[in-house]
Formats: sequence, C-alpha cells, structure tokens
Amino acid sequence: MPALFPRWTNTAVRTVLISLAVVLPGVPISVMAWQRTPGATGSGYSPDQPVPFNHLLHVTDFRIDCRYCHASAERSSVAGLPPSSACTACHNEVWSNSIALAPVRQSLATNRPVAWNRVNRLPDFVYFNHSIHVAKGVGCETCHGRVDRMSQVVRTAPLTMQWCVDCHANPGPKLRPVDEITVMGRAVGADQVALGDELVRRYKVRRLTNCTTCHR
Amino acid sequence: MTSFDDELSRRNFVKLLGASMALAGLDGCSRMPGEKILPYVHQPRELTPGIATHYATAMMLDGFATGLVVESHEGRPTKIEGNPDHPASLGAAGIFEQASLLQLYDSNRASAVRSAHAPTGWEAFSEAFSPRALRNHVGGHGAGLALLLEATSSSVIADMIATLKGLYPEAGIHYYSPLARTEASIPQYDIRAANVILAIESDFLAAGPMQLRMSREFSDRRREPSADMNRLYAIESAVTVTGSSADHRFRCRPSMIQPVLAELYSLLGDASVPAQRAAERSYGGITSSALRVIAADLSRHKGQCLVIAGERQPPSVHALVAAINEQLGNTGRTVWRIRSPLLGAGDGSFSIEALAGRLRDGAVDTLICIGGNPSYNTPGPLQFDGAFRKVRNTAYVGLYENETGQNAKWLVPAAHYLETWGDGRAYDGTLSVVQPLVQPLNGGKSAVEILAAVCGVEKSPLALLRESLGRTGLVGETAWTDAVRRGFVVGAAAPRIQGPTIVVPTAAAPEKTDHIDVTFAADSRTHDGSFANNGWLQELPDPVTKLTWDNAAHLSPATAARLLVGSGDTVLVRTPASSIRLPVLIVAGHADDSVTVHFGYGRRGAERLAAGVGTDVFPMWPATGAFVSSASVDRAVDAGQHTFAITQSHWKMDGREQAKSETLRSYNARQATFKPDDHPPPSLFKGEPPPAAVKQWAMTIDLGLCTGCSACVVACQSENNIPVVGKEDVEKSREMQWLRIDRYQDGTEENPEFIAQPMLCQQCERAPCEYVCPVGATDHSPDGLNEMVYNRCVGTRFCSNNCPYKVRRFNWFDYNAEISETEKMAKNPDVTVRERGVMEKCTFCVQRIREKEISAEVAGTPFLGSSVVTACQQACPTRAITFGSLTEPESEVMRQREGPRAYNVLDELGTRPRVRYLSRIRNANPALDTEQ
Repeated sequence: MPALFPRWTNTAVRTVLISLAVVLPGVPISVMAWQRTPGATGSGYSPDQPVPFNHLLHVTDFRIDCRYCHASAERSSVAGLPPSSACTACHNEVWSNSIALAPVRQSLATNRPVAWNRVNRLPDFVYFNHSIHVAKGVGCETCHGRVDRMSQVVRTAPLTMQWCVDCHANPGPKLRPVDEITVMGRAVGADQVALGDELVRRYKVRRLTNCTTCHR
Repeated sequence: MTSFDDELSRRNFVKLLGASMALAGLDGCSRMPGEKILPYVHQPRELTPGIATHYATAMMLDGFATGLVVESHEGRPTKIEGNPDHPASLGAAGIFEQASLLQLYDSNRASAVRSAHAPTGWEAFSEAFSPRALRNHVGGHGAGLALLLEATSSSVIADMIATLKGLYPEAGIHYYSPLARTEASIPQYDIRAANVILAIESDFLAAGPMQLRMSREFSDRRREPSADMNRLYAIESAVTVTGSSADHRFRCRPSMIQPVLAELYSLLGDASVPAQRAAERSYGGITSSALRVIAADLSRHKGQCLVIAGERQPPSVHALVAAINEQLGNTGRTVWRIRSPLLGAGDGSFSIEALAGRLRDGAVDTLICIGGNPSYNTPGPLQFDGAFRKVRNTAYVGLYENETGQNAKWLVPAAHYLETWGDGRAYDGTLSVVQPLVQPLNGGKSAVEILAAVCGVEKSPLALLRESLGRTGLVGETAWTDAVRRGFVVGAAAPRIQGPTIVVPTAAAPEKTDHIDVTFAADSRTHDGSFANNGWLQELPDPVTKLTWDNAAHLSPATAARLLVGSGDTVLVRTPASSIRLPVLIVAGHADDSVTVHFGYGRRGAERLAAGVGTDVFPMWPATGAFVSSASVDRAVDAGQHTFAITQSHWKMDGREQAKSETLRSYNARQATFKPDDHPPPSLFKGEPPPAAVKQWAMTIDLGLCTGCSACVVACQSENNIPVVGKEDVEKSREMQWLRIDRYQDGTEENPEFIAQPMLCQQCERAPCEYVCPVGATDHSPDGLNEMVYNRCVGTRFCSNNCPYKVRRFNWFDYNAEISETEKMAKNPDVTVRERGVMEKCTFCVQRIREKEISAEVAGTPFLGSSVVTACQQACPTRAITFGSLTEPESEVMRQREGPRAYNVLDELGTRPRVRYLSRIRNANPALDTEQ
C-alpha cells in the first residue's frame, strides 16, 4: 500500500507542532510581558501642560513646600491641585505679565478653570487615599519620584497593582518619619530595615492586601 | 433600559459572534485615555476636594416639610439623608425624599421658558406677566387673574400672595395637591405615650407627612419585648404597611368603617348612638366580638391609648374617631390639634373646585399654575383639563412639561428644592428652611421668583425669604445662620388649639351592599404621579404587593373568585364618574367586595420614563374628592393577560421559618430558659477563625421593628450606584437592588399574618460564593466582609448559583451606559460604577467603613465600630438595623446577637452569616389570640 501522505508532511507536522508549542504560550507571555513595560503602564508619561509649571524651580530653588499647592494631601483622599488664585498669590508680584501664565490670568478673568493634564492616573475602580499614606509615613517621593528635579512632571511609577501590592505586603522599607514626608532625595540608609520596623510599630502600619482596601 | 428588541437572525448572530471574538482580545490593549484635572479658580473655603460636605435643607410634600441633610461632593448633591434634629425626620428619610435626588438630575426636566412652543426666555415671561402688561388683560383689580399653587405652608409664599392681593385684590388664589389635607386644624399624635393604638384605614407608619417620626415613636415602644410594649390594632380594607405590622389586623369594607366606629363608640359607653349591641355583626372582616375585645383593651388604657383615622377618611369618620378619643380621655394626652399651617386650609374658596367653577364661567383671563399637575391629577368629572385649555392665557411652572405643561401657553421650568431658597412648616408646625445646594441646572425658577415677577418685585428669593422669616420672629444674623445650619427653628412647633366641636354622626344604616366599594389610594411609589418619572421609585417593589412599574385593581381572593378573574385579567371598573379598564392583582388580606386603585400612573406628559406605565384612575375619581366611592366591577372578556413585573412570586415559608415570629407570651416562656448556643452548626466549608486584632463587622435586623417601608432599599440604591433596569428586565428577575425586602404570609389567604424581612448579603463567615469563583473575584477580608471585586469578575455567575440567600445581582446589560450626563452626577464617587457582565452585591457599605477607618487613623483617634453607619441603617425610620463590630463586647450589635431573639437564616447550611435577625414579637391580645 502506498504511503497515504507524502514524505514532506512529516516535516510540516513537526514544524507546525513546534511553532504551536512556541506560539501558544508565547503570545500570552509576550502580551503579559508587554503589559509590564513602561510603554504599556505609562511610566515615564509626561504630557505637556497648559501652563509650563516648573517644579524644579519652585521646589528646589524657591523651596516652596509641596503642601502649599497640594493642600489637601494630609486631609483628603486627593492631594488637590492649586486653584488659579493660588498662582496669582505670588504671580501678581513676580512674572505677572509672563506669556506662560496667560492661561492662569485668563482663568481668573473668565472664571473657568485651567485644564491640567493628569499625569498619575489610577483606574476608576481604585480608591487611593493620600491622607492615610501621608499619616503612615509614605513620602511624596516614594510614588511621585524626584519632583524637585522635574521641570515638567513625569510619571515615575508604573501604578500597576503589583507595584501597589509590593509595598502593601511589606511596607517597612518604604516608610519614613512623618516629618520627612515632603523631603526629596531622602537617603535610604543601612538602618532602613530597623527604622522601617520601628515606624511600622509607631504608626501602627498594617499589611493591607485584601481587596476592599482599594476596590470598593 | 432597552434590551435587544430585534430578533437576531442566525446569520447576524454568527457575524456578531465572529466580530466580538476577534475584537475581544484587543480590549485590553488600549491605553487609558488622557484625563483633565480642573481645579477651582477660587477654592471655596468650606470645601476640600475629596471630602464630602453636608447641608441641612427640607423637602416639601403635600405642603409639609421633612428636614433633610444632603451630602455634596464638590458641589454636586449625591445623597439625601434625614436631619437627625428635625422633628419630622429624626434622622430617617423616606423613599420620596431620598429619590428626589434623581428628580434633580432628571434629563426629562423642562429646560427652557417657552411660549406657544417657541423658546422665549425668562425676560419675555417676566415682561408678559409684569403688572404693567397683565393689568390690560385681567382688569385693574385682577378679577381675570387666577393663581393655582401646590399645597404649601411657606411663609414667603404667603407674603408674596399678600403682596399680589394688594396689587390685584380680586385675583383668585387656589391651592391644590390631590393628597394634601384640607382641614383647618390637623391632629397631632404622641405615639410614644400610647399603650394601645387602633389604626382605622390609616397607614401612619408609611405614608403622610409625619410617618418617619411616628414610625420611630411606634418602634421605641417595641424595642424590647416586655410588658411595656405597645399594641397595634389595624382595621383596613387594603393591606398597608401599618396593617401588616399590626399585632392584630382586621379586614373591613371601606363603606363599613363608619358603622364599625359607631359600634365601637357605643361599646365605649355612649348609648345615644344606636348600634346593634346585642346582635353579632360582621362588617366584611371584623366582627362585633372582636370589636368588643378592642373596646375593652382601649378602655383599660384610658388616656394612654389612641385611635387614628386615615387622613383621607371622610369627615364623619374623623368626627367619630375624635369622639372616641374624647371618650377615652386621650384628647390632650395622646392626641391634640393644631391650626393647619397650609395656606387656605379649611376655606373652600381656595379650592380647585372653586377655580374650576370660575374657569367654567369664563371669568378667568390669565391662569398661572405653579407646580402640581392639575390637568392630570384632578377628578375626571371636574373636567379641569378642558376648562384649562379654554383659558386665553395660561402659564405653567413645573419641573416637567407634563400634562398641564403641554396644554399651557407659557411653560417655565421650575427650580428643584435643592436649587432654591424657601421655607415651609413641618406637620407639627416647625418652621423649616429650604437651602439650595446647586444653582438651577436648567435655569429653573422657584414659586417665589414667579410671584415676585408677577408682582413686579425686584428682590432675590433669599432677600424675600429673610424678610418673611423676620416677620415670623427670626430676627438677626445669628438666628438666621442658626436656622439655616440646623435646617429649622428650634422649638417652633405650633401651639395646641381646641379642636372643632365634635358632632357625632348618627350611624347611617349600612348602605346597600350589592355594589363594590372602590378606594382611591396614594401610590406607595409615585404618590400622586409627581414621582412617576423616577426610576428608583418605579422600580422599587411596592412594600405590600412587590409590584414594580405598574398599578392594578387590588382585589381580595374571594372577590376575584366571585368575579371569575385572576391576577393579570382585566376588569372594567365603573364609577358614576367614569369607567376604566384595569388589570387585576389579587392581594391576600384585602377586604372582600372592595377594590383599591392607585393614583399616579398612566401619565401622558413629556416624561419619558413615566409614559405608558400603568393606568390613570383620576378620571373615575368623584368630583367631591372623596377617596371612597361605589363602583361596579366586571370582567373584561376581550382583554388579554396583563404581565406584572413583581419581584416576589412565592409568599409562603413552607415550614422553613426564614422570618421568625412569635407572640410575646411564647417569647416570655422561651426566654426564661434561654441559653446562648455556643455551637454553630457544622459547615461543609473550611474556614479559619477571624483575626481578633481588626474589627469584625456584623449586622442585626429586628423583624419586630421592620415595617417593610422600603426606605432602606432606596438608600442602598442611592449610596451604591445601583442601576435601574426597567420593567422588562424586572419581569426576568434581573432587578439590581442589593437589598430587597422579602415578604411572607402566614395563615389563611383571607386574613394572613404578614412579616417583612430585609434580605441582603449575609456576609457569611463560610461563604458558599467564595469557593466557586474561578477568578477569585469574591473573597473574604480580615474584618469579616465578603468582598466583591468588580474589576476581577468575569461573570461566570457561579457565585450567584451557589448563594443560598439569592442576594447577588448580575449586570445583564450595561445599564449605566444608558443614563444621561446629568444623571451621572447623582452617582456616589466613592463607589465603583459597574459595567455589563459583572456580579455585584451588598458590601456592608464598605466605602463608609473605610472612610471612617481612614479618618480615625489619620486623626489618631480610636476607631469605634459604632461610628460606621450603613446607608440602610441610616435611612431606617424605626432603627431596625444595627451595625457594629463583634470585637466590641459592649456594642449594641453584640448585645442583640447574643440575645434570645437572634437567629441566622438558613442556619443549618453552616454558612455562619454575619447578619442576624431578631424574631418578630407580636404583642397579641390573649383574648383574640388563637395561638396557644
């Protein structure tokens, strides 16, 4: 009886089987890997803003505290963006005719807000609360990066669930004393492990990894 | 609220299937779209972004105020709650108050001033109705001018009317709300002081301007089963919340109420009223012997008992009830009267009948109708609508372009009460302030602004309000600020007055009995139709029948059998006024030979949701406005079967005792030997004991206090962003309310005993749902919550199948995608809005728990379990719901959980629910009790 299939089909079947073995797990794996790249998470995202507000200048040179503008970070779930009137508190005196500040002046004249582009965005089903993180000793820098070096704000954290849970499962290494919350470039010393444990005790920091901590 | 109406052909189905398969994978690839942040230009001092603010205000219904506290997120009202200090609320909020939030954001609201179908703007209206322009048409004294307002108790409106009368002395002023009280003096009750209460066709626990307070006072005497418990008898034709909460409920034909009272009156000792004392009589449910027992019980508590007549009973019934209360020495102790704060109360010249007469005579040139909806909600024989259309110049000011608005020459959008300043009186006369929370969304105008324009007064509503309140004695900045902050003026209840002389009607011989009594009742959800466009209310199951999106002719089983009709058949109800076809709904416990019909349906206005829902019964309402009439009811043979959307189909417990009830006597016997059971039943499910370091949340619900009023259901819907699904989906059991109220009937079809049981996620310690979820979307938190994670859920619905309590809800469609932009503003920003294909359920208001937890930790203060109040608990007028932590042995929830009345529903399954129920205690009169 002659062969039912020609000889080349052996190679063909082998090729197909091997490529299936590669492709079938490979596609999801590469998608999952891609999901974690900065390109997918948005880490490094730095949109242009209507007013080219320079954190480098205001934080490093003028030493303005974060909470002058982000006033509700200690009290509310949102840190808050400054109202237009907060800008003109100083900019009535300095740079009062700057072209860069035209949107702020226009906002005050028309009573319409300045539309900033959101840099750090969480999905709507995530309920992040600034006040509790501040109260427990999570510094601004820990999530927002070296804002004091940013002339235009960049998102430095991937803001993935894994990233959140890493710290929630083991908060100690990321904690700092509450009075150093706004310090930028705080050196992490060799004693951070001991300090972390001490702060966990002092601030009664819990390892909250259950779902309704963030999802409600 | 739409579903896939078109039949899908097989070919299209495969096409769609292919496309959705191909695109499904791409769904996760999109980057989150860019988002804008809009900070304030000038940030208000009292406002911190992310922190809700609360303002006191008040809502008027049928002229009376209920004090409220409204939660606002960044200037956007999101939740309406009761004002704990206001005498008509005491912290609770009824379904209408809570659902009025949705009305504020309703996209069907009238949005522009128009004249003869062309938009004109407010200036044109105020010009056309200014004194200068109007005088030419209505005469120097305003004889041709008439105003129709909703029933109101507002001082500022009263002052504006006085100004108007100064300008136009002959103008006709009329007040009308179909369900408002019109007597010159209104009775006040002290339910707390009454040991025995007899309710005559009165739903005082769930309807009327004082229901929240009366429910609280009633329940305060029932919190602990003891000899101090009050006892409630109810005699009624239709089944009401009050009747079904009564210790003894008796059916009675509406036309027999007066003879029953006459016999009771004579039993209590006045022989001048003839009654067949010797003969044992039956009044279509209640018998003379039962009446004798009630009379004896009332006499034992002279001065400490109370007879309440339904507010819509005829004057003769009210006179008899007043006489009985007088006889029992209750007047001045449990019942007294105050002068009605409603404008024009007790004076027929202010009535709508007087206005209809003037319209018919052609005496009115210009009619301004502020609020209400007289073209729809007036008795058919009055023919108001036809007369209204014939008036040369009509203006309607209302929230919607409803039946009246469509027929009016001018339409002005009205401001919602959350958009305007105003005032009003609570039922006890307390002066309440209406404070706005937002600018009018559609440029709406309040009644005061309209009156000011007509009078040519150029002052803001706030200035006018302060002037008027100054005249009532609220002088000075401090007093004003205090009144606004509190929402009312402390200690401003009206003084008691001597009631009218009681003329005891001599008992008329019982009318001929070959007809059927028809009772016109306020609908539990649409009221008089003014809430018909409210999705939360349309979809709220009626507390008694569980009917949604509909009204029906309620008949007793025996009467239905006699008429050869069943539920869903159509009957023709014929009254002297008109005849109307209505679908039948058989209600166990309804009185025989009577039919109850409900106002508020069959709307024909521009409200999209209300259109085509139910049947309008106003046309057959007698012109006198009497709520009981005689009718003939016949089966309509040519009509098909009507489908009702009813959320409960089975009413028996079949021996499983989910909702336990016992008499005070049997409880006392049982309690003597009660020992807490420390051994929970065995469980199939594995579980570890919860950690003791964190709170362990638990709830108890007292079935003895729950009346089934459903305020909690609306509170939950509002707090947790629960969508409305529409009638078709309710028919398929797809309603979304996380909290439902199950209703069970025990005993005979004719006269069952009722029990209402709020059913929500039981937060089982060994939760069957958690074991079957393939993606870990439902899980247990360390603090004892059964968590539901929407973003993980893939919609297998295994959890719902495995839930023995059937409290999980599935989003069959993207219900939230179909709501308007304005309605989105009603959403609670602290709760995720769920999309299609996601399971959801009660979370014990986890957003409130976390908020309190976080704020206590940030402030460094101890976190007490009792500081968390769930939405359902907050709204409950009887405080039947208690919430707290099991880690606090002193907490109320622990005390109740360990008490003799506590039990778990379906305990034998070993789910160990965190919600426990307290069995209902009936304070049965041994003389009437058949149970041993």
